[in-house]
Amino acid sequence: MTSTPEMLPTTGAPPARTGWLERYERVVGSETLRALEALARKMKGHRIVMVNTTKTGGGVAEILHRVVVILNELGIPTTWEVMEGDARFFGVTKRMHNALHGHVLPLTEEDREIYRERTRIEAKRLALDGDLIMIHDPQPAALIELCRRPGQYWIWRCHIDLSRRDEAYWEFIRPVVEQYDAAIFSHVQFVPPLTVPAILVPPSIDPFAEKNREMEEEEIESILARLGLEPHGPWVTQISRFDRIKDPIGVVEAFRLVRARRPAKLLLAGGGASDDPEGAEVLAEVREKAKGVRDVTILELPPQSDREINALQRTSTVVLQKSLREGFALTVSEALWKRRAVVASAVGGIPLQVLDERTGLLVRSIEGTAFQTVRLLDNPELRRDLGAEGRIHVRDNFLHTREVRDYLAVFARVVGKGPV
Amino acid sequence: MSEGFRFFTSAPLESPAGQVASDLESLKAGIATVSPESIFHHVTRMPVRFPHVRDLPENDFARWVGDALQLPEVSERLAFAGSLPAGSLEEVRAALLAVLDRVPERDRRRSASEGAAFQFLEARTVLADLGIEAADPAEVVEVWPRLDDAATFLHLVEAPVFGRNEYALIPWLRARGARGLADSAAKAVAAGPPVARLHRDIGTRWRRSMIGRRLVERIDAAEEIRLREARETMARLAEKLKGADAGGKR
Repeated sequence: MTSTPEMLPTTGAPPARTGWLERYERVVGSETLRALEALARKMKGHRIVMVNTTKTGGGVAEILHRVVVILNELGIPTTWEVMEGDARFFGVTKRMHNALHGHVLPLTEEDREIYRERTRIEAKRLALDGDLIMIHDPQPAALIELCRRPGQYWIWRCHIDLSRRDEAYWEFIRPVVEQYDAAIFSHVQFVPPLTVPAILVPPSIDPFAEKNREMEEEEIESILARLGLEPHGPWVTQISRFDRIKDPIGVVEAFRLVRARRPAKLLLAGGGASDDPEGAEVLAEVREKAKGVRDVTILELPPQSDREINALQRTSTVVLQKSLREGFALTVSEALWKRRAVVASAVGGIPLQVLDERTGLLVRSIEGTAFQTVRLLDNPELRRDLGAEGRIHVRDNFLHTREVRDYLAVFARVVGKGPV
Repeated sequence: MSEGFRFFTSAPLESPAGQVASDLESLKAGIATVSPESIFHHVTRMPVRFPHVRDLPENDFARWVGDALQLPEVSERLAFAGSLPAGSLEEVRAALLAVLDRVPERDRRRSASEGAAFQFLEARTVLADLGIEAADPAEVVEVWPRLDDAATFLHLVEAPVFGRNEYALIPWLRARGARGLADSAAKAVAAGPPVARLHRDIGTRWRRSMIGRRLVERIDAAEEIRLREARETMARLAEKLKGADAGGKR
């Protein structure tokens, strides 16, 4: 048995890991970390720069906070640059985000110029001095036109579901995206026609984040008490934005069918109503619909409610995600990580997370949702088995370590060190 | 023949293969034309993505036909045809196509609802040296628990299927006379279990199979030690006797 210099010794105890790698090792095992370190060694000598438009709030910032630290701990110097903008720029990029998600919105010449102008300003300010530049989402995508230097590799990481994109906005972005060396998407259904290699990297969750960390029973109970909820259920919950595509009305209707057969309580909790007129409208409809149904609680959560969401998911007997359409729906992985029994629609990225009858139950109708919810309420053993398999499935596929592994493989491929 | 076996981990990068199927005809057209890598990916994705699952789901083609087209009988046949140990990827492809050829006319008209089309994927694997090398089969058994599941899959399943012999572990074991280890690994692979179970089961089988050999080696080693110690003792005694003689003379 031999080992190469700089590599792990093959005998004796492996070198002790520290920091986040050590914490992750306790969750995913030393073999997984060893594989991650092997991939990281391929990237020795490279420097990575991540670029997005916010340091706080939102899933992308959450992922970057952890991924940047892990990459550095793996020995790859990685920095994180945040593109700044004024209200006009973020107004345009918010519309761009919504349009690429499927809303039909006008794109004016003024919008285009605001986007270009901010890109020019930020191109001078940002330190894009690595040899691997990973740009997250459309807002900073055009930096490539002004900042690319010889010897650099640029990767566009799209976190958006582009399957129902507004063509006017996409045609504005596409020529920019096609200058990249590769584009990464979360799901095959989100990939538009492109001339550059498209690679699929599903998103992931952080088991140590406030939303997912372990919680003591007392902490959960105190949060429930503060929210005015009884700790004793059984609680059936859907925690999602008040948005029509999440089908909260369908959830109330399914629960009405459940409640006619079994004692249970429904909790619909989510945000999106205070800063979104359509969200407020949906919330009002849900409240109206729920009037005739017993044991329904509707909770409007403010932003930054991660601790509350954690407690609510852990209290749930059954977690629903009865969406009509979905992006990736990482809320499902969050629930599975907490060993919850999940009933979810077979749309978007959900079937990757819920393997029917193994890690959860997939449904396609209101009646199906009601039937499977009753089935789970009646069967604690099934809930336990699905929850246990679900947790393992998330550990194997949807934690940040897997996303880092995929990024390392993408980097290696882009710089010509793989695939072989 | 003297080279050791070097272990690698692998990270598969999925990409759209280009073809999309919405009914059996387009599924058949896709299976007939996609790359062998795409066929391999779709028939092996479940054991890789669900490495710890107790009850392994069917391959992607079978699941899609069962779920999206609601054709359970065709789904069952595709599940069996897509079992990889049947042979080469071209044999698997031919077996899948043969199932689709036999579907009755009435079922061929079924099509998937919007958004439920089958998207053919392919995975290109990035390899990374784990820095672990075994000089002989006994060392393979020793380092086996330190590999990740992706390394297990690469060395036992993927490399042999694609003829990448430098990464194929079973032929390497055979070439070094470890027929028992090679046979038990091949038998475990043929059963097509989830990758984590494959990894664990092979490790267990190998450790058990090595118990007898290790016992014999220890007994042999102890015998050697006994002989060496006896020789050393006799030599020391002879030295003493010589010294005594010399001293006596003095």
